[in-house]
Amino acid sequence: MRSTHWARTTLAAIAAATLAGCGLGDPNSSDGPVSATGEVKGKVSIQTWALKPKFTDYMDGVIDAFEKKYPGVQVEWLDQPGEGYSEKVLSQAAGGTLPDVVNLPPDFALPLAGQSMLLDVAEADPKLADDYVEGGIDAYRFAGQDGAYGYPWYLNTDVNYWNSELLGKYGLDARKPPGDLDELIAQARTVKEKSGGAAYLMSRKPGLGDLADAGVKIMADDGKSFTFNTPEAAAVLDKYRSAFKDGLLPKDVLTETYAGNAKLFNAGTVAWTTGGGNYITSLATDNPTLAPKVVPSAAMGTPPLYVQGLSVAKNSKNRAAAVALARWVTNAENQAAFARLTSIFPSTKASATDPFFNQSDGGNAGNAKVIAFTSLAKARILQPVEVNDAMKTVVNQQIALAISGETGSKQALDTAVSRCNQLLKG
Amino acid sequence: MTHRRWFTPWLLAGPAVIWLAVFNLWPAVNTVILSFTNAKPLGGGHFTGLANYRRALSDDQLVDALVNSIVYLAVCLPLLTLLPLLLALLVERKLPGITFFRTAFYTPVVASAVVVALIWGWVLDDRGLLNGLLGQFGLTDRPVSFLTDRWLLLFSAIALTTWKGLGYYMVIYLSALGNVGRELHEAAAVDGASALRRFWHVTIPGVRPTMLLISVLISVSALRVFSELYVLSNGTGGPGGRDMSVVMLIQMYSRGFSGHIGYASALSLLLFVITIGPMLLLARLGRKAA
Amino acid sequence: MARGFGTPSTGEKTVRYLLLVLVLLITVGPFLWQLSTSLKGPGEDVYARTPSFLPSDLTFANYAKVADTVPVWTYAANSLVVAAIAVVGNAVGATLAGFALARLRFRGVRLVLGLFLATLVLPGEVTIVSQYVTVRSLGLTDTLTGVALPGAIAMLNVLLMRTAFAAVPPELDAAALVDGANAWQRLVHVGLPNVRGMLSVVVIFTFIGAWDDFLWPLIVLSDPGKYTLTVGLQYLNGTFSANPRVIAAGTMIAFLPIVAVFATLQRFFFRGVEEGAVKG
Repeated sequence: MRSTHWARTTLAAIAAATLAGCGLGDPNSSDGPVSATGEVKGKVSIQTWALKPKFTDYMDGVIDAFEKKYPGVQVEWLDQPGEGYSEKVLSQAAGGTLPDVVNLPPDFALPLAGQSMLLDVAEADPKLADDYVEGGIDAYRFAGQDGAYGYPWYLNTDVNYWNSELLGKYGLDARKPPGDLDELIAQARTVKEKSGGAAYLMSRKPGLGDLADAGVKIMADDGKSFTFNTPEAAAVLDKYRSAFKDGLLPKDVLTETYAGNAKLFNAGTVAWTTGGGNYITSLATDNPTLAPKVVPSAAMGTPPLYVQGLSVAKNSKNRAAAVALARWVTNAENQAAFARLTSIFPSTKASATDPFFNQSDGGNAGNAKVIAFTSLAKARILQPVEVNDAMKTVVNQQIALAISGETGSKQALDTAVSRCNQLLKG
Repeated sequence: MTHRRWFTPWLLAGPAVIWLAVFNLWPAVNTVILSFTNAKPLGGGHFTGLANYRRALSDDQLVDALVNSIVYLAVCLPLLTLLPLLLALLVERKLPGITFFRTAFYTPVVASAVVVALIWGWVLDDRGLLNGLLGQFGLTDRPVSFLTDRWLLLFSAIALTTWKGLGYYMVIYLSALGNVGRELHEAAAVDGASALRRFWHVTIPGVRPTMLLISVLISVSALRVFSELYVLSNGTGGPGGRDMSVVMLIQMYSRGFSGHIGYASALSLLLFVITIGPMLLLARLGRKAA
Repeated sequence: MARGFGTPSTGEKTVRYLLLVLVLLITVGPFLWQLSTSLKGPGEDVYARTPSFLPSDLTFANYAKVADTVPVWTYAANSLVVAAIAVVGNAVGATLAGFALARLRFRGVRLVLGLFLATLVLPGEVTIVSQYVTVRSLGLTDTLTGVALPGAIAMLNVLLMRTAFAAVPPELDAAALVDGANAWQRLVHVGLPNVRGMLSVVVIFTFIGAWDDFLWPLIVLSDPGKYTLTVGLQYLNGTFSANPRVIAAGTMIAFLPIVAVFATLQRFFFRGVEEGAVKG
């Protein structure tokens, strides 16, 4: 038939053209000199993530001051909405249109650095280690790659939050929170028994962070394989499994993601959640009657460290201005001002002695801020940056399976490790 | 006279064919090529032969996903072919306030996924509306796990699909019903045919081509189900990921900076091949009936 | 006055209304919940276990807040441009192609039809990056045209229009052929008057699809001034600030045009049934 012949020819032509163009373009990796010296002038763009509209004035102020300091420089500020940010950055990277300075969390920066799309700011800026805290910079150092691929911007950690009213109703004191998993489970049993199953204390599945906190090594040092299928890890899951079997956690926990327990906490069904230092403030808009009853306490075990940073695109046409801008936005003064607007914590060494963070106004939100700030000193990145969304999904699924009792803890962990390794090597 | 020039059809179909080639075939061909590579969203990809297809054969999550698809198809196809037609017949007749009902029935189609998830969560979760009712009437002594059990979660998603599909397919049926001659109905009514007989002998034959198209659309979307399962399981795919659909797997593998585009492409093609089957079957049925 | 065959009896009317209300209860819940959330004042809990359905502290402040934080009119205008391009493209492109595929005989018709059907089946999840590369190579990134272009002729709509044309009674067409009408005349005089219902379905689907799309406009556009409404409303959902009442108000704002378009066009579905009725 003629039509089939026609189709075949067309397909062949398209295929050839596709192979030549290769659909997914090669990132333009110009390996010029890394030097970032030179005059700071001309146009430079910076992309932030979900800061508008609440911090529009703040960012405008920071940028105006920068333009005043370096006459002849013009900053273009792009703020992207919270949803779909990884897709947005991905298509920018694939299309060679990354802005000069980009807000990238470490797990976004890792693959871009792997494709040499980001500037090694440790090389470009020898004073990096003098000004920023080590934990912040380390978040942008990746196994198998030299250098640091972003200026740490703001830090956060998790604090425990307790619903004092709910706990009080069942004879527990929010001011004497449990100190470890066993005590937590014991209190959860009290809540369950005294409430007849109407309320819960725990509503969160353990994740890789909890395993790391229990001393489990999540990943090999070279970042090439996962190692969290140990007996210690299985023991943690076993504890949760028996707690689940006894009805100490709501059943929905099996299909909840990390945010799920905050939802139940907001609804007043659950007496415990974890969240950043500003959690009470945001709760005040969702559930204003609950917010004043919340009592914060420090995280059990090692607090997790969350880092945001500004990276510089390697193919930036205005590298000198880009580095200067990234440094400017993340400098001690601007970060300190930012931290006064919301409960985040500066990544600059100069802020460590700032009395602002050590003093509470006496309210529970202020207490949470101080607790978070003091926790930062011993906070660590518990979940390796290599863990991407697909791996998180896989781990979450297997842990749910283990807790539901359908599978042994060790077996679930083995499956999770082998799937994560498969995802890692591709 | 421009009677029957050979290029006239191509002139009319031309724009659509160009769009087909540029925005559908081109990416499709790309998908075929990528399925033989280990491509990532950033940076190259090398030819790896059949490695992705071999990986798919040994992927036990894919087996679960395929089973889910078949169940989904088997339940959704009859439900969604028939219910929206009945609904269309209900709102077709001009009655005071009917515009309001028509519009209201369509709202689930455009409700945002977040709101849908919240509402259905309240209906279906352990302390939700449905469990409350079941307990009240003494039908169950402990909550039914509509959202965490491997099969119940799947059926909850099917209920959600049906709910969303009602308005969507109703609209397509409505437009087709407009073409079923009123004269035929009236003639049948005068003959004293019962409502059921009229439905069977006048309405159904009148909308048959549309019904066929709709059943193709339902099959395709049942096999490609994504958002309902995603939303009800909060993106987790249920304990052990046993309630994932093929598209959820594809999405999981292709998303993000280090997505396995090659493997996701291979899964896409497998899904494509699987979907062709029911479509050919329906096409044959349609030809036979015509 | 044709008013349907036999005005329904009171009994039938009652049954019909009962059924209508039943389906209404099932379908309209989320919409009402969203509306109620958007009207709640700051003193009300929106995530409480049993949220009250009626706002006790009724306020329109959330709508004002949306207009304050997001340039609603600019974004709505952008959305409208995208939707207009898509609607015109689909109404014209899908009608022409649907007619050709249903009514004209030509070599390759079955291949083309098969390809249209096949593309319905291929999951789009993996192709979004290569789609972006295509639009970029056309030089259309960061333009509203670039957003509208890939969907400007949707394959689904071509198939819908083809089905509609195929359902036109062949006798009508045959008569036109005998009269020596050419393809264009057959389309305009025989085809179009009989497919208006489906055409309005296509317009509605296209409008809603273009209006609701989130990920694609986000990827194509880089200048936030050009964002469409769905993307722009995401600013209500900021990193350190998310007020569910304001988000609900934003969703309602985006929802209203859809309701308006639907309510306006739905009467065209019934052309065949209501033809001749002077007033409903």
